[in-house]
Amino acid sequence: MVENAHSLNIAASLVLLLGITYILGPLYLTFATASQSYEYLLRSGLAWIPGDQLFNNIARIFTETRIPLQMLNSLLVALSQAVATCALSFLAAYAIVGFRARWAGVVFALILATIMLPLDIRVITTYQVASNVLAPVNWLLDATGLNGVIGEVFGAPLHLEWSVLNTHFGFIAPLVAHGTGTFLFCQFFRTLPADLFKAARMDGAGPVRFMFDILLPLARTPFAALFVLTFLSGWTQYLWPLVASSTPDMQTAVVGLARLSPDTDGAVPDFPLIMAGALIVSIIPLAMIALLQRYLVRGLVLSEK
Amino acid sequence: MNAIDTAIRAAASSIALKGVTKSYDAAHQVIPPMDAEFRAGEFTVVLGPSGCGKSTLLQMIAGLERVSGGAIVIGGREVQNLEPKHRGCAMVFQNYALYPHMSVFDNVAYSLKVAGMPKPERIERVEAVARMLGLSELLARRPSQLSGGQRQRVAIGRAIVREPGVLLFDEPLSNLDAQLRHDMRLELADLHRRIGATTAFVTHDQVEAMTLADRILILNKGRIEQFDTPKAIYHRPASVFVAKFIGSPPMNVLPVTGDGSVLRLADGQVVVEAPLNGNFVLGIRPEDIVFGTGGPLKARLRYREDLGSHSVLAADLAGEVVRVATPFGVDIAEATDLSLSFPQARLHLFDAATGRALPGAIGAQ
Ligand SMILES: Nc1ncnc2c1ncn2[C@@H]1O[C@H](COP(=O)(O)OP(=O)(O)O)[C@@H](O)[C@H]1O
Ligand SMILES: [Mg+2]
Repeated sequence: MVENAHSLNIAASLVLLLGITYILGPLYLTFATASQSYEYLLRSGLAWIPGDQLFNNIARIFTETRIPLQMLNSLLVALSQAVATCALSFLAAYAIVGFRARWAGVVFALILATIMLPLDIRVITTYQVASNVLAPVNWLLDATGLNGVIGEVFGAPLHLEWSVLNTHFGFIAPLVAHGTGTFLFCQFFRTLPADLFKAARMDGAGPVRFMFDILLPLARTPFAALFVLTFLSGWTQYLWPLVASSTPDMQTAVVGLARLSPDTDGAVPDFPLIMAGALIVSIIPLAMIALLQRYLVRGLVLSEK
Repeated sequence: MNAIDTAIRAAASSIALKGVTKSYDAAHQVIPPMDAEFRAGEFTVVLGPSGCGKSTLLQMIAGLERVSGGAIVIGGREVQNLEPKHRGCAMVFQNYALYPHMSVFDNVAYSLKVAGMPKPERIERVEAVARMLGLSELLARRPSQLSGGQRQRVAIGRAIVREPGVLLFDEPLSNLDAQLRHDMRLELADLHRRIGATTAFVTHDQVEAMTLADRILILNKGRIEQFDTPKAIYHRPASVFVAKFIGSPPMNVLPVTGDGSVLRLADGQVVVEAPLNGNFVLGIRPEDIVFGTGGPLKARLRYREDLGSHSVLAADLAGEVVRVATPFGVDIAEATDLSLSFPQARLHLFDAATGRALPGAIGAQ
């Protein structure tokens, strides 16, 4: 038995070692490349050993690229998205669990169904909506024949136009509704004793007061967990900011990073510069995880002591 | 005497239920129309098996559930359409329902804070309640740092701090272990003696009901079986349901038939002389059965339970199990024949069809 446990230990250690290599290998290559010069890379291909150009490359990120500005974009987008997602999920879950609404079950199922419809598969329709948010109003005016009347009275039918493409709001809004977040809060609220709400009502607190005084403080951990998760996904979001932004000044850092490689065929990208950018862009989510990781685990386990 | 004691005693209001009904769905009525009055300052226990509608009744009084019909009058005011906070009721819940993230002080003070009471007054009130309940040392703690009994006291403090006219308890002791339950029972009785609040206390435990209540309301499937003092309920049960629910072990009930002169058991043995015709249910408490004096009824001992203070014998009589309470140490082997007698003065007679008591027919009633 002892021998068995021993060999099991060795096997487990080997697997772990393999895993660590798998994860740290690319990170090491990123770091090594970021610390070499472009010329070194052209000469010897992959950079296996670190060089002395790291600070030089980082300085170039700040002087030669728009990454710092784009990081501000990312920060704004990711923070707003995290805040809005948390607020919306929290409110939706409270409405579903806290009140005996007749259609709560159906609504919950529909919200869960949106988990299977991520932005990546509805990117074209989302683009259409974002390019004119008021299109449904136009359609409604046409369909009800109201536009005919308006055309006669004012001389021209009404056609409303409001594009949110290439705005921060446009980057954020389509990603705010979050099925997983709503589910997380719903499950958390269901672990709370039902008598808590009744006790608060006896104490004279209405639903809003109950939400602020009791629900919100109790939901601290799931809140923090969802905040970190949505912040990270907002920061690393690629497809939607790429599609929805049209000027470099509006792009997010991850998109800007990808744009650092030249569009022309055959040119070797400036990998040291790109990797230095990658290092800088990763710092913020890394710091986020480092600060809030205990919430991340506790919030997802959903056990409040 | 604390100021809070006198304030609550002064606020104590009566509760009158007038044709109150409740149904959660059209299919069945949890509470059929009910009339009852909980007198001001009295400790009324609502007793019944689980699922009979006790919590529903209490929550309708509190305002946490709407009535489906009828009126609730508290202290002369119709309240069935008022929000809980306007009814002057406070409630203690089974699992305490303390706010886990607040200190004991904040838990007790929360209702005062919501009501907008200025802070100095709030502190004064909470401290008075804490002194009364022995919580003064615990005010800074969180509920998770308290024992079950302490949490219970915090829940009670939270209820009485507003000086309510009516105190409602929903099975507040059922989460405690036996010893603590006993202690808390004494504490509750003591508290009621001191503050004199009108109290409605829901439980399924007859010992709690018998020891705490001024009057007991016995509920069966939402209907009132009997509403009387513990003594009356024990000695004059109004129905077979009450007879079988109260007492440990509960009253023995046996089907009997009257032929105009005597009542006979199912196997033909004569229990008592009575000029009655038809089918009845006969009841007798285990401690009222006389045993071992060569009585007329023949039974066979099945098993015995020795409880220290006394023994309970379970015997077969006319196809039914009859329990007999005897002083401890009766020397008798299992599976032997017993002779029992039922003193006529101790007999209870019930209608076989309705289960209602027939007072005055024979014996005890
Ligand atoms: N919110 C509810 N919706 C539907 N039925 C309920 C609800 N609450 C209680 N009931 C039903 O009402 C009956 C009485 O419940 P309750 O008052 O909780 O009983 P008790 O407190 O005596 O155990 C039970 O049959 C229960 O299933
Ligand atoms: Mg109940």
